[in-house]
Amino acid sequence: MSRPSVRLSRRDWLKLSTAGVIGYSMSGWLENLANAASPERKRSCILLWMNGGPSQMDTFDLKPGQANGGPYKEIATSVPGIKISEHLPKIAKHMNDMVLVRSMRTKEADHGRATYQMRTGYLPGGPVHYPTLGSLLSKELEMPGAELPSFVSIAPYRFFSPAAYNPGFLGPRYAPLVVGENQQSLIAIPGRQSNYEDGLKVQDIARPEGVSAEREAARIGLLREMQDDFLQTRSALPSESQRSAYQRAVTLMHSRATKAFDLDEEPKQLRDAYGRNLFGQGCLLARRLVEQGVPFVEVTLSNVENLTLGWDTHISNFESVKKLSQVLDPAWATLMSDLKQRGLLESTLIVWMGEFGRTPKINDNRGRDHWANSWTTVLAGGGIKGGQVVGKTSADGMEVTDRPISTQDFLATIAVALGIDIKKQNRSNVGRPIRIADPAAKPIQEVLA
Amino acid sequence: MLARLLWLALLSTLVLSSGSTAKAKAPDPTKPPGDAKELAAAIDRHIAHRWTETGTEPAPLADDSEFLRRVYLDLAGRIPSVEEARTFLADRRSDKRARLVEELLGSSRYIAHFTTVWRMLLLPEAGNNFQVRLQQPSFEAWLKQMIVRNAGYDEIARELVTMPLNKGTELDIFLGAGSPTPLAFYAAKEFKPENLAASTARVFLGINVECAQCHNHPFAEWKREQFWGYAAFFAGIKSRRTQDLLLPDKEVQDKRELVIPGTERVAQARFLDGAEPVWKSKSTNRVTLADWMTGANNPYFARAAVNRLWAYFFGTGLVDPVDEMVGGDHRPSHPELLDVLAHEFAAHRFDIKFLIRAITASRPYQLTSASTHPNDAPARELFARMPLRGLTAEQIFDSMAIATGYRDSGGGDDLLSNIFGGQRSARSEFLTRFANQPERATEAQTSILQSLSLMNGKVVAAATSLEKSETLSAIVESPFVSTEDRIETLYLATLSRKPDAKEMSRSVKFIRDAGKRGKGSDKEALADVFWALLNSPEFIVNH
Repeated sequence: MSRPSVRLSRRDWLKLSTAGVIGYSMSGWLENLANAASPERKRSCILLWMNGGPSQMDTFDLKPGQANGGPYKEIATSVPGIKISEHLPKIAKHMNDMVLVRSMRTKEADHGRATYQMRTGYLPGGPVHYPTLGSLLSKELEMPGAELPSFVSIAPYRFFSPAAYNPGFLGPRYAPLVVGENQQSLIAIPGRQSNYEDGLKVQDIARPEGVSAEREAARIGLLREMQDDFLQTRSALPSESQRSAYQRAVTLMHSRATKAFDLDEEPKQLRDAYGRNLFGQGCLLARRLVEQGVPFVEVTLSNVENLTLGWDTHISNFESVKKLSQVLDPAWATLMSDLKQRGLLESTLIVWMGEFGRTPKINDNRGRDHWANSWTTVLAGGGIKGGQVVGKTSADGMEVTDRPISTQDFLATIAVALGIDIKKQNRSNVGRPIRIADPAAKPIQEVLA
Repeated sequence: MLARLLWLALLSTLVLSSGSTAKAKAPDPTKPPGDAKELAAAIDRHIAHRWTETGTEPAPLADDSEFLRRVYLDLAGRIPSVEEARTFLADRRSDKRARLVEELLGSSRYIAHFTTVWRMLLLPEAGNNFQVRLQQPSFEAWLKQMIVRNAGYDEIARELVTMPLNKGTELDIFLGAGSPTPLAFYAAKEFKPENLAASTARVFLGINVECAQCHNHPFAEWKREQFWGYAAFFAGIKSRRTQDLLLPDKEVQDKRELVIPGTERVAQARFLDGAEPVWKSKSTNRVTLADWMTGANNPYFARAAVNRLWAYFFGTGLVDPVDEMVGGDHRPSHPELLDVLAHEFAAHRFDIKFLIRAITASRPYQLTSASTHPNDAPARELFARMPLRGLTAEQIFDSMAIATGYRDSGGGDDLLSNIFGGQRSARSEFLTRFANQPERATEAQTSILQSLSLMNGKVVAAATSLEKSETLSAIVESPFVSTEDRIETLYLATLSRKPDAKEMSRSVKFIRDAGKRGKGSDKEALADVFWALLNSPEFIVNH
């Protein structure tokens, strides 16, 4: 009977190489390692996720006077020649730090698939479990020894695509710390007040009622002995990772870094300026986390009180977008000026996007439907050259006439702006290594600083 | 007996002399099938042969507790209760392990658990597709029906592949939620031939042809023409999209060719092994495909099925990864064994329970997962020790529930709760928190949030509270029971075994020390021992 071959397959070779076992690789990881050791502060990213698909023609790419332009007027911004919706007056003043990408052209107009695609860079359905953007990028930006997890997701709405919020093949170590999820699901229910005060705390971080600090210490001690015993004879990835995750969890429980979640420490006027609602206070929390060195924070704006569909404005588009804009505008603008005042804007990239845009054509219910052919995303803050527009759409908004940008192009731009090597590879769950950005992705050079 | 040995030897030489293992052999239908015990013995022989060859010393056999817990998790999806554990451990019959397997295979827990197992294999998209989640209950209802009557694996594949597709409406889907149909499979693949091709090839044939969709596969033999020829069997499927849903339209029968995208070439329907289909007038495209797929001459189907089930029980397939059995670098670790298993499985009409009986009765399945030396790790493909495997979210929750007597107090698990928000049931929240299981159970990891949830979360807090947990207070408060007995019950409830001497004395000391803190503290300390056991790695891992 023949012996198994000891020749390494090409895939095994890549696996060992990226794990650092073999002394060189094709991806230049040695250089990356040198960068990680540099004393420069690494960049952070705040993703403002507009769940439901916000209407570009009523926010950042208006067509006033056109048949489908709708009733909103355009207003000037701090950059001559760039105009946006009248319902975003505060953020308009920050245009010199912003880049409008008006020529997004993607193909998916289904909530679930588009959410997955915009958040991972790939279409769902295949065997590979792609990581969400926050997991992928925070892995590159995380600082060793940090007490807070490096990826925090504030008030996500995961229903359309739970997998789009997962760390995928990177494993649970890179899963987001989620806060405020229940609050997000309560907003939609008419009459229910969402309690963002308590909702934005880390769940299960405090020991249960009725358990004293002494008891807690004693039982954690007992648990540690059990873990050590078990690992004596059963040391493998599942058991080792359990012990290590518990250690980090206990550190988190006792860490002063979780004070970042105490919004009462902030002055009243600032909290008012962000807006006393889930998204506004979520943006404030994002600033605090970035200040503590958390490299990737996302805040979801899906809905506001008393609206049913949120950004998914198949009905009554104009009334809804106005209400959403009135929450978005003060929160985002205050976030920008708050970061600037603390000297953090230069090192923080803010990304504004949803899963797609909305139809130029207005439907019978005064609404706009899903539209992926020509829509807008925005980049702001550090790592980019603000005050410009990328691409153009036609007069009626139906087509991209200049500089079409794909999902991969856009996500690659984000990674490069954050100082990440997009050629770096991770090992996927099917063994095949996968680069941070697809080889075909073309980062938008003109916006990179 | 001798005839069996001779037959097996003959089969081995046939396979050996066939040269390269790249082309698989179809199971030989003329050989008589053996029973599960004989197959288990064959497994033992083939595995032991490689141990001898490589000079590997296998781990010792697992003791009763280890086997008990393992087989309950694998077949019933949860750990045994204290009663079930005590009964098994006290049983003196020499064949008690096989009897336990029979008992579990006949239980409703087996049906519920394996419905989940096959659903996770066939419908992975439920995690990222809202329509699929809508239709998931119907899919599970269909699966459950098949498992209840122990339908052969070939029947399951056949029903899935040949499901009639007619014009559907949104109402069908919204109102029909729960009526059994595998339609969700098709919706998940968007009714597209290329997706159905890639998926059925991967799941049922162990062939990963995805890359070949766009170009010739870089690592394996598959060419673009082959892929699209296979996809052409699904060419007649049509669908239409409404605002929210993707619905089937009436299938065009007899459409058997597809244009290869980006070219002007047309691919005719052709089986993946290159054979040309013989079209019968009464059989549609997909029936012809299903006939080939599950037929006696198919070299892939039985092997893929057997390999998947092997990987389920051992954490690693006989060919690894399980999706890439043909072409590329992946040779079976035990080629003759794979052939024998495939042959027997087919000969027994693809009876899943038959295969389960054989595997669970084999020696490799009964080995311990404990290692004597920390650095002693034989190659996984030798199956010389049972590896640690992670549990699914369902297994963790259901085990927690049985250990603690936890009963869900309410909240919605239903679709409306999911779409419009509101309180979800504790099980539902728990499942979300613990979702995202990796491809291989041997690579499961725990996250910080999961740890916090188990340490401080509502479910565990209620379950370990003297006031709220009936189970715990029964253990703690029953009179005339010694501290040692109470501790033993806690261990049996969570780890399905008795504590060893060191663990017992440590636990007793823990309770005595707590007692010094004040009145009632010794009872709290018992609750804390329970808490520590529920949070221990031994609880959350299948070993």
